Amino acid sequence: MSAPTQSSAGKNPAPFEHWRVVLRDSVKEVFSLMVGAEINIPEDVDPPVITEVTGMVGLAGELCGVLSVRCAKNCGAKIASKMLAVPLTEAASHISDAVGEICNMVAGNFKAKIDGLQDKCMLSVPTVITGGDYQLYSLAVGDRIELPFLFEGESIWIGLEVRS
Amino acid sequence: MSIRALIVDDSSVMRKIVERCLRQAGMDLGQVLEASNGAEALALVTENTFDLILSDINMPVMDGLEFIRHLKEIESAKSIPIVMITTEGGEKSVLEALSLGAKGYIRKPFTPDQVKEHVIPVLRS
Repeated sequence: MSAPTQSSAGKNPAPFEHWRVVLRDSVKEVFSLMVGAEINIPEDVDPPVITEVTGMVGLAGELCGVLSVRCAKNCGAKIASKMLAVPLTEAASHISDAVGEICNMVAGNFKAKIDGLQDKCMLSVPTVITGGDYQLYSLAVGDRIELPFLFEGESIWIGLEVRS
Repeated sequence: MSIRALIVDDSSVMRKIVERCLRQAGMDLGQVLEASNGAEALALVTENTFDLILSDINMPVMDGLEFIRHLKEIESAKSIPIVMITTEGGEKSVLEALSLGAKGYIRKPFTPDQVKEHVIPVLRS
């Protein structure tokens, strides 16, 4: 998958900038409540993009697009380990499930925070890709938000691609 | 008395989190069975007795709303209290679940305290 780009403001910059803040809050809330650990925003330089596990949830209706979570396999294992309260070695088989569920909850939390979206935007069940040698093609060009995070020293990229 | 619970969610991680939250809430859990969709849950309901069902809404194969519809047609199971645990916190799906007979709902992400707040009253009633 290609490296993330900075968010584009598109035709409606003010709401889209607001969405960045909302998405950031949603990610922090989901990690705090369901992973039981803080996820941090890098202060200076964006962390590297390591795409070994990608979780995706589709949005359809008033807002169409894809919300994605991308991280390294080891990072996925750390997330699963924290969520299940099991040692890292036991968490390996739950990486996809954990990353998919994080993606699902971030998408749900995000749309719940945006006025008018809650009832007019449906979520797909999560899809998880393991491995990084792939390209994602969209049928329509739209706006994209990419947010970097650090979780226990590992980078996580959260993306929201919106069809225009 | 131990509570026999059925946890229905397509995420195995979420099923385990829900069970852990119930235990952290101080509930005396006896048999806890898991299903990854409504169809699996229906099969378990016909073969087992439960005091409580916690179910996701958005699941493949058979979603939580369809599951409640079918559950209410099973004489031996229709009175089991159901609490929905869902990311789909939209009024429409939640109201539909409640109108079909769900006793409450918990929105993901949640804390163990929120699980306790929603489940204990349902069991008492």
